[in-house]
Amino acid sequence: MLGELIPSSTKLETIDERLRQCGISRRSFLVFCTSLMVAAPFGLALTDMASPEAVAAVLGKVVRPAVIWLHFQDCTGCTESLLQTSHPGFADLILNVISLEYHETLMAGSGLQARQALDEAVKRYAGKFILVVEGSIPTGAQGIYMKTGGRTAMEILNDVGGKAAAIIAIGSCASWGGIPSADPDPTGAVGVADLLPEHSIINIPGCPPNPYTMLGVVLQYATDGTFPETDDQRRPKFAFDRDIHEHCPRRAHFDAGNFVKVYGDAGHREGWCLYEMGCKGPDTHAGCSTRHFNEIPDVWPIGIGAPCIGCTEKAVAFKVPMFQVVQLHTIAAPPTSYAPITTTRGTISPLATGLVGLGVGVLATGGYVASRKFSKKEDDESAPGSKPDNKAGE
Amino acid sequence: MTPTPANPDERGTTLINHWQSGVPVTKGRVLTPFLAFLIVLAAIGLVLAGIRLVSPLGPFSAMNSAYAWGIWKTFNVMTLTALGSGPLALGMAAWVFNRQKLHVVMRTALVSGFLFYSTGLIALGFDVGRPWNFYNAVMPWRWNSESAMLEISICMPLYCAVFLSFEILPLFLERLYYTGNEKARAFLRHVSPRIRKVYPFVIIGAYVIPLMHQSSLGGLLLLAGDKINPLWQSPAMPWLYLVAAALCGFAFTIFLLLIVCLRYARPLDDSVLTELANLLSGVCFLFLAIRAIDLIWRGQLHRAFAFNEMSLLFLLETSLILVPAVVLQFRRFRETPRALLNMSALACVGGMLYRFIPTSIAYTPMRSTSYFPSVPELVMAVGYISLGIVAFVFAINYFAVLPGDASTWDHSFRPFGWKRRAPAPAAIPLLTVPALERGA
Amino acid sequence: MNILNMPLSRRQAFKAMLGLGGTVASAMLPTTALASTEEHPAHPIAPADAVAMLYDSTLCTGCKACMPACNEANGLPADTLLSGGIWDMPTGLNAQTKNIIELYQDPNSDEFSYVKKQCMHCLDPACVTGCPFGSLKKVDFGAVTWNGSLCIGCRYCEVACPFEVPQFEWEARNPKIVKCEFCYDQRLKENLEPACTAACPTGAVIFGKRDALLDQAKGRIAAAPDKYYENRVYGEHEAGGTQVLYLSSVSFQKIGLPKLGSTSLGHYATKVTSVIYKWLGGPIMMAGVLGFAIRRNWNRHELERLDHEKKTGFPDQL
Repeated sequence: MLGELIPSSTKLETIDERLRQCGISRRSFLVFCTSLMVAAPFGLALTDMASPEAVAAVLGKVVRPAVIWLHFQDCTGCTESLLQTSHPGFADLILNVISLEYHETLMAGSGLQARQALDEAVKRYAGKFILVVEGSIPTGAQGIYMKTGGRTAMEILNDVGGKAAAIIAIGSCASWGGIPSADPDPTGAVGVADLLPEHSIINIPGCPPNPYTMLGVVLQYATDGTFPETDDQRRPKFAFDRDIHEHCPRRAHFDAGNFVKVYGDAGHREGWCLYEMGCKGPDTHAGCSTRHFNEIPDVWPIGIGAPCIGCTEKAVAFKVPMFQVVQLHTIAAPPTSYAPITTTRGTISPLATGLVGLGVGVLATGGYVASRKFSKKEDDESAPGSKPDNKAGE
Repeated sequence: MTPTPANPDERGTTLINHWQSGVPVTKGRVLTPFLAFLIVLAAIGLVLAGIRLVSPLGPFSAMNSAYAWGIWKTFNVMTLTALGSGPLALGMAAWVFNRQKLHVVMRTALVSGFLFYSTGLIALGFDVGRPWNFYNAVMPWRWNSESAMLEISICMPLYCAVFLSFEILPLFLERLYYTGNEKARAFLRHVSPRIRKVYPFVIIGAYVIPLMHQSSLGGLLLLAGDKINPLWQSPAMPWLYLVAAALCGFAFTIFLLLIVCLRYARPLDDSVLTELANLLSGVCFLFLAIRAIDLIWRGQLHRAFAFNEMSLLFLLETSLILVPAVVLQFRRFRETPRALLNMSALACVGGMLYRFIPTSIAYTPMRSTSYFPSVPELVMAVGYISLGIVAFVFAINYFAVLPGDASTWDHSFRPFGWKRRAPAPAAIPLLTVPALERGA
Repeated sequence: MNILNMPLSRRQAFKAMLGLGGTVASAMLPTTALASTEEHPAHPIAPADAVAMLYDSTLCTGCKACMPACNEANGLPADTLLSGGIWDMPTGLNAQTKNIIELYQDPNSDEFSYVKKQCMHCLDPACVTGCPFGSLKKVDFGAVTWNGSLCIGCRYCEVACPFEVPQFEWEARNPKIVKCEFCYDQRLKENLEPACTAACPTGAVIFGKRDALLDQAKGRIAAAPDKYYENRVYGEHEAGGTQVLYLSSVSFQKIGLPKLGSTSLGHYATKVTSVIYKWLGGPIMMAGVLGFAIRRNWNRHELERLDHEKKTGFPDQL
């Protein structure tokens, strides 16, 4: 999806200038750029460069994008995942790379002040800001299940979303409804794209998703106004084009037939494949198997021994029972056993053999009895019973 | 053992001339318990066949891709149609080599041959996996003329439906003549000369065509190459299959005649049976000669005496044919019904073994495999055979098939239906002289 | 005077024979050329555009990438019967597997070898010779393909193939014959190589023109004498020559490639019959000879019949 180039605003400075203002070290920024590259090695023009320095050079000249972050029926987990980095101070950096104009959890103000801040930000950056939506929008009973400042979520979304340059639905809730939409779904929870289908929306499902996916998309947009290629569910392909199973670190165990049968068994301790425990990896498109969370290797569900629950997929997450085994869609790579040169085919049924034996026996006996009826003597005329008074054979 | 007397009048022959024409069986119940049992078997077989048509072949039979042909093809078709080659063997002997005596048993051979062929073709029809494409058979431009399988699938149905049926037609017409009304008889007197005119030409086809397809049944196995044990795999297989067909044709006809005459208390006929026995012996020797020459020519004779499983099988099959060949050379045995029965049975089994072994027991694919027919397969095969037997029993009861003493027959037929009593013979008009001269 | 009482003149007999022979022949004569020895020469010649696959088992690592590639290109499901629905794990070529990697292991030593099995696309295929309606045909590039509208499911191809390749779909109600076709419809026609050779990461199986690959194979043998079994290429002459060539360091029979002579089975099977059936000459001649004898005996029989009928007063049985 292509957006339009935003003309630079004199109110927002470039990232380089801002970082210098805030005293954030160049080294931190380079580390940030590295993380971006790791999160989106290809499929994103911004990170498709030779080195973090190159990315930093480009990114430095980008004007900080204005971001308005709305919460609806959410748990704030997506925000937490954005801020719970393993590098202290990173949160600061992130918040200086983008210009977060409105964020209910992080902002200082509340009540009327917050409402004013929102209105001002929307007015100032109308048509230029990026709207990030976190949480599902209730549609049941005209949307009364959530109201902020006297307005229902639907109204807020319509109002703010209508003026955004682009909308990023972060998290499964905003992408397709998430946990609130699970059976029986009393609130009628839906994602952003269900309410504003004509808008340019990028879905980044996950519970939570990798924050660098969102950052990559936002910064790409800020750099040259383009969005990365998306699939038919509006998810960026660079993060969602493959399923967990394809790149799972435990794939070798799957191929070798090493499966965990019960939590805590020897196989579980060895880190064996969780397919039989109901891992939804084969059915789930996400990048978690290569990009883990909190920038710490193996900090992701399968890495700690919990089967994937398919949190990005509408058809899987919070719908298919956690321990239900999924079907494999692609021709699975064969295991480490081979067909032998000769195989035994065909079985012999003992019943059939018995029947044949019986039949042959009956025929042989019958033949013998018949031949006995023919007299051995030479001078007997013709066949027995051929004389009229012989009743044999009648 | 008494020595054979020199004077023919003191010979004490066991058999005398009793067969003059085909005579239907008019006494006794048709539906005996045994026949009822066979009807039930046949019905079960046909029902299973119907089910087979709408279900996949795999679960139904025990065939697999290494043993792609089960007993329907290899037994019901390849083996039993050898037994059904009576029309070919006897017909050639009677019509080509002018053994006039055999005409009286031609009908028995024809009916049994027709039934072996038709039940075999039914078995074949239910064995093919994609029968809906069989319409290609009437599009000659799609034929692959090199294929022995094509030859068989065209010639066998053609033979059965056209030539054998035509040869059997006189049975029905004869019954119609004697049991029908005057209009029917007039129609038959009109039609019969035409049939007689065409008959010799039809039977030319009736012998050329089975020569082709009986040898093609052997030709089928040529493509199997080394999968068939070298004792059997040979370029002479088509010839041998043909001679085995003739052998089985003679042997089974003798056997059948003896059994049915025993069952229906008919007198035997010396001259015909000894004629058949002579022919059988001759054909057995011919078969063994070709077999021996073939083995020596191909340098495989040592395998016959290796005394392993295959060698023993070969020796069994050969002795089953050699023994009758030798024994029936002696007049004493030719004229003893019991010896005839035993020897013809041995020859039948030997001939059947020769035709069956290379398709199954001596057929060893590369992959280690096994095949034994499954129960449904067996039941269907037995069902088809029972169907043939049932039809044969009906035929000999309602039509003039079995040879008998013409003087004992008043040209009456059993009525169709459940009446047990044979009817009083209808007033059958004798042929008038003008009718004779018209060639009625 | 009954026509049948008259002795048959030679001309009439001749006419009758020709007439019958012609009738029989035209009833059975297919319009395509009949079998001739030229169609099955003792040593078949590869067609000009003959392609081939060269499989060198010494380069194969047993990764089996060719197997899912083949399944995907041919729209075949995985054979997950033995794996409980998880992996494609066939035990041999079957109705879902056109191409398989098998492993030979000597129980008493370290000797082992992988081998790729699929249709050999013989130069003179036995299956094509035997197929009654030409469903299996050797088409351009020398690929042997199967045509569903001509197949009656007689399974003669399974009996004829010395490599036991064609697989009948025993479990299907609309059973097909499943075998490698060089990806003819999907790829070969678009000038793409088959899926398996495209997928092979080590170049163990490669695709190209038959003579070029044969030269390459011989080059490998020459460059490493005594590495390859018997210093020869399997498929150069086997069964008349095949379009899948094998190089192996262990005996070909150990990896399941049968020992075959250099004449094709089609040649062996049609050697005699092609002469007898050329233009249906044999049957026509037979019909003529038989016809002559039958006609003569028939006339004799008819004469006797009339006597018999006069005696008994009833029509004679035919």
